[in-house]
Amino acid sequence: MSKIGVFVCHCGENISRTVDCARVAKASGQIRGVAVAKDYKYMCSDPGQALIKNAIKEHKLDGVVVSACSPHMHEKTFRKAVTEAGLNQFLCEMANIREHCSWVHEKEEPTTRKAIELVRLMVEKVKRNMALEPIRVDVTKRALVIGGGVAGIQAALDIADGGHEVILVEKDPSVGGHMAQLSETFPTLDCSQCILTPKMVDVGSHPNIKLYTYSEVEKIEGFVGNFKVTIKKKARSVDIDKCTGCGECQLKCPSKKIPSEFDRGLKNRTAIYIPFPQAVPARPVIDREHCIYFTKGKCKACQKVCPTEAVDFEQTDEYVEEEVGGIVVATGFDLYTTDKQGPYPDYKGYGEYGYGEDPDIIDGLQFERLASASGPTGGAIQRPSDGKEPKSVVFLQCIGSRHPSKGIEFCSKICCMYTAKHTMLYKHKVHHGTAYVFYMDIRAPGKGYDEFVRRAIEEDGAVYLRGRVSRIYRSGDHLIVKGADTLSGAAVEIEADMVVLATAVMPQPGIEGLFQKLGISYDQYKFASEAHPKLRPVECATAGIFLAGACQGPKDIPESVAQASAAASKALILFSRDQMLREPVVAKVNENTCIACWYCVEICPFTAISKKDIRDRQGNLIKRVAEVNPSLCTGCGTCAATCFSNSIDLDGFTDEQIYSEINSLMAVGQDLFPEPEKAEGDSPDEKAA
Amino acid sequence: MSESPQSETQKDGAGLPEAATSWEPRIVAFICNWCTYTGADLAGTSRMKYPPYVRVIKIPCTGRFDPLFMIKAFERGADGVLVSGCHPGDCHYTAGNYNARRKYTVFKALLETLGMDMDRVWFSWISASEGGKWVDTIRKFTEVIQEKGPFREYREMIDVG
Amino acid sequence: MSDRTDKIREVARKWLADGTVEAVVGWEQGTYREKCSPVLVRKPEDADRLLFNDRCTNNLMTYLKRDPVRGMEKVGVVAKGCDIKSLIGLLQESQVEREKVMVLAVTCEGVKKDDGTVPIKCQACDVNTPTFYDEIVGEKVASNPDPEARFKDLEKLDAMTPAERNSFWREELDKCIRCYACRQACPLCICSRCIAEKNQPQWVETSPHPRGNFSWNLVRAYHLAGRCVECEACETACPVNIPLMLLNRAMARTVKGAFDYEAGKDPEVQPPLRTFNLDDDNSFIL
Ligand SMILES: Cc1cc2nc3c(=O)[nH]c(=O)nc-3n(C[C@H](O)[C@H](O)[C@H](O)COP(=O)(O)OP(=O)(O)OC[C@H]3O[C@@H](n4cnc5c(N)ncnc54)[C@H](O)[C@@H]3O)c2cc1C
Ligand code: SF4
Ligand code: SF4
Ligand code: FES
Repeated sequence: MSKIGVFVCHCGENISRTVDCARVAKASGQIRGVAVAKDYKYMCSDPGQALIKNAIKEHKLDGVVVSACSPHMHEKTFRKAVTEAGLNQFLCEMANIREHCSWVHEKEEPTTRKAIELVRLMVEKVKRNMALEPIRVDVTKRALVIGGGVAGIQAALDIADGGHEVILVEKDPSVGGHMAQLSETFPTLDCSQCILTPKMVDVGSHPNIKLYTYSEVEKIEGFVGNFKVTIKKKARSVDIDKCTGCGECQLKCPSKKIPSEFDRGLKNRTAIYIPFPQAVPARPVIDREHCIYFTKGKCKACQKVCPTEAVDFEQTDEYVEEEVGGIVVATGFDLYTTDKQGPYPDYKGYGEYGYGEDPDIIDGLQFERLASASGPTGGAIQRPSDGKEPKSVVFLQCIGSRHPSKGIEFCSKICCMYTAKHTMLYKHKVHHGTAYVFYMDIRAPGKGYDEFVRRAIEEDGAVYLRGRVSRIYRSGDHLIVKGADTLSGAAVEIEADMVVLATAVMPQPGIEGLFQKLGISYDQYKFASEAHPKLRPVECATAGIFLAGACQGPKDIPESVAQASAAASKALILFSRDQMLREPVVAKVNENTCIACWYCVEICPFTAISKKDIRDRQGNLIKRVAEVNPSLCTGCGTCAATCFSNSIDLDGFTDEQIYSEINSLMAVGQDLFPEPEKAEGDSPDEKAA
Repeated sequence: MSESPQSETQKDGAGLPEAATSWEPRIVAFICNWCTYTGADLAGTSRMKYPPYVRVIKIPCTGRFDPLFMIKAFERGADGVLVSGCHPGDCHYTAGNYNARRKYTVFKALLETLGMDMDRVWFSWISASEGGKWVDTIRKFTEVIQEKGPFREYREMIDVG
Repeated sequence: MSDRTDKIREVARKWLADGTVEAVVGWEQGTYREKCSPVLVRKPEDADRLLFNDRCTNNLMTYLKRDPVRGMEKVGVVAKGCDIKSLIGLLQESQVEREKVMVLAVTCEGVKKDDGTVPIKCQACDVNTPTFYDEIVGEKVASNPDPEARFKDLEKLDAMTPAERNSFWREELDKCIRCYACRQACPLCICSRCIAEKNQPQWVETSPHPRGNFSWNLVRAYHLAGRCVECEACETACPVNIPLMLLNRAMARTVKGAFDYEAGKDPEVQPPLRTFNLDDDNSFIL
């Protein structure tokens, strides 16, 4: 017979105000199998816990029900307490008589009765609880970081500095991401490359970092602590070990008219190219789509000129496998393009603004390149159409962002700041020019941010107009920008030499393919979703996968870096132990009755169940049964509810436990508890039954 | 109506004194640990009020819900059964609730065919932030059950056994 | 008909003689009126016991899941189109390996019940000429299913109020003596230990009182939802004539309406309770 202890908490007056706790304890004491039942003012306090621990020892309890607040509140506390008294933690359960009872009902008889029934329900469950041991899973102490923007770089460096190996996978030929393209950065206006390049170099040379550029994640198997990753190294056509990065090939390549991605089309590059001078690795790659040899069958100019014979036209995509324990996703963002047909088919562009048609209408990143000392103009602000210095520039904010009719409701967060920065960079270079900004609201919370915007307006004289622009059209040498200033109510028309659109921050197009491989969720825009928006902002719901940077939502550099370090620390926490402990709420198969119908195998959302052969000593197949991998099982119980032969059950929520809980509800007329006065009349024999 | 169905728990219960005889609604709610349970917790922390006749049985996920649970609950005298979990797309285990929804669809049709009173069988999605929805649901369900009275049809059957 | 009998014997004899199969499950002349009964033929010379006529109502697929057939390396089975539907179910649920079964299909104009009437499954038959087999005998028979036939009987249930339906069923189910003949006859009741016999915990009470009977019949129908191929074996087997097919067809109608699924059609398709769709009906959930 069970020896259960029931401990009823008053929670100060939080419970006892509406529930008669003494009576709950008394009635609980009469449930068969209950050896001791006590009430106390604060069960979670030290003396309260001591009371439980002593009772466990004194009565040799084999189960405990703490009747108090929600298990989400204090289950851990009490499970720890019972362990200290030598009882297996999974023999302790909580009956929720606060959130589910005292706080939501009036002080009346049925409320106390409900509390008693909730206790009884849990007593019946605990009687069937089993001592369980947490599941131990070995941890591979290596990390995979996907994406080599500033977030990925920071996460990789932190984990590597923490002493663990990192595999960094970047799809482009160089790490750096968008930050490498920026000129100066808000709110301090320091040069982006000056602060980023040293980190890029560190990533390239760190002994703990294995860098795969021009590579993508092909496949991911396994689970937290034990992921197996297949990486596709795209054919670079250059042997980066032989190559010294001298750049001779670029000079000789006859295919020179390819718009440079790095300069966002404001400059051309060759077919064999190093994306930008500070690239890491500073090694070229052949863009096979534009290479004359690959398209026409002859040329090989680069191979002829290469002093180290590094150019290799035969190279093919290569697949490598890496084992890692944790993954940081840092795939960053892309900009919404305002072309009529951008990369995001679900969103309507801004045909009315003429982006992609008129060369003097550019986006924010193009402006960064124009303003950058390493950019196509060497840092001089010149308009793309004819290289003239623009006398007036109109900046439009919220292009796409906060525009539900264009398909996007969110705020891109960084544009207010970088537009202010752009007006300053412009004014610092074109002293007599005028910068106009059309905005909806200025959102500049953050350390030094509002001051920065004010400076743009007050010191650098940027003209801020609150309103949207309805149309932009060309009139001779100028662009006419027609809009409204909603503050004055006046229609405005500005003659501009150049227009800069602050387009929305979007996830990388097609990134959901990677997220699906990883088994992580994403929102309607395909930004990766965190496990909890407030309390677990860097973890994915899938264990062992963490998020860093703009892949999760629009972020500026300080935020991306902070999150990257947070993700790294989560990975380091994971790596701090040789083995991980997991809740032993996992499914188990009854091999005797399993009929190998594979319903569970098909239905398990975590592919935790596989098919197992049972053989005799001679190796003859006797039968096949389902088998649960406890490291993969998350304990949802879908299999247990689906198996019609009832051959698979879920520890912690077994059929027997649930059955007993239901049974405890009793049939009509049998479930009733004493009115206070009647309670005195219990006969002792009845109790002994 | 005989009043002495035999089962283990009743034997257990025999130690408990008998009391009130007037009928009170008895609602059993199978709710998932992540959304609805937390939603019901929130109703508590927000000190919302609802009638005290619901008994919660926590399951990890609606995916764990086997329709047998519902039958057993009715056999044990429930006047109404609610099953509630995370909204589609929000299941902690990604797909438990989608699988559950198929089971509901089939089982509900079966109960309908058998002429069960479907006002006594409710399904809902209640998120961790919908304390208010939990309260409304329980209130409304209790009202319906109170209006209908005890689940006589089923109880007659139980008591014959 | 006799023509088919000859051909069945011929093929069975050949299969048994050349070792294609260890045994053939088929029908033979029964001992009671014109009824036919199942037979397991192991020797070529016994092939002549086999026959086919409109009294070959039994669904022989049930034997595939039972000893001794279950343990055989390869077995032949004579099957009407409707019987093959249950084979497809068994294949979907990995209860039978396709390589281990030789299907000797026979075209069929319909069979008769013991009382001489035509079963609903034959009125609604769309597989008079089977399409899934290893060998087929008999002239091609065009299918001409009566579209109403399948769910016609449900209409009278639909027309009742819930309370009327409930008392209808309580009366019917009260008759149940818990002999489990329905389960034994069902080709898709595949559990080695039925939930009704599991007692830890005992979800279904075993004694034949209304409460237990109700639960048992409910569970049986639920566990066959989306799996039952409407072969009518259970109803035929029931000694107290409970209209079990009404429950089964109600389930079939639901599964068809909600998931556009029909059991026994395609071995490659997932049974409906083994999968889901994101846009499954959500309208009944608050
Ligand atoms: C015009 C403009 C101006 C800005 N100015 C400032 C500023 O002044 N100050 C400031 O703080 N912030 C500024 N920002 C914001 C800043 O650019 C971002 O905060 C930062 O770049 C985010 O870093 P990230 O690493 O998350 O993403 P990214 O920089 O986008 O890097 C992501 C990396 O992941 C790689 N990747 C993507 N998909 C895959 C894949 N499937 N496999 C492998 N690799 C992949 C990409 O190639 C890229 O290298 C500006 C942004 C813009 C658009
Ligand atoms: S669903 Fe049940 S019977 Fe089927 S394979 Fe899984 S455990 Fe075995
Ligand atoms: S409990 Fe859930 S995760 Fe575990 S094996 Fe069953 S279906 Fe898969
Ligand atoms: S966890 Fe709530 S429904 Fe799955």
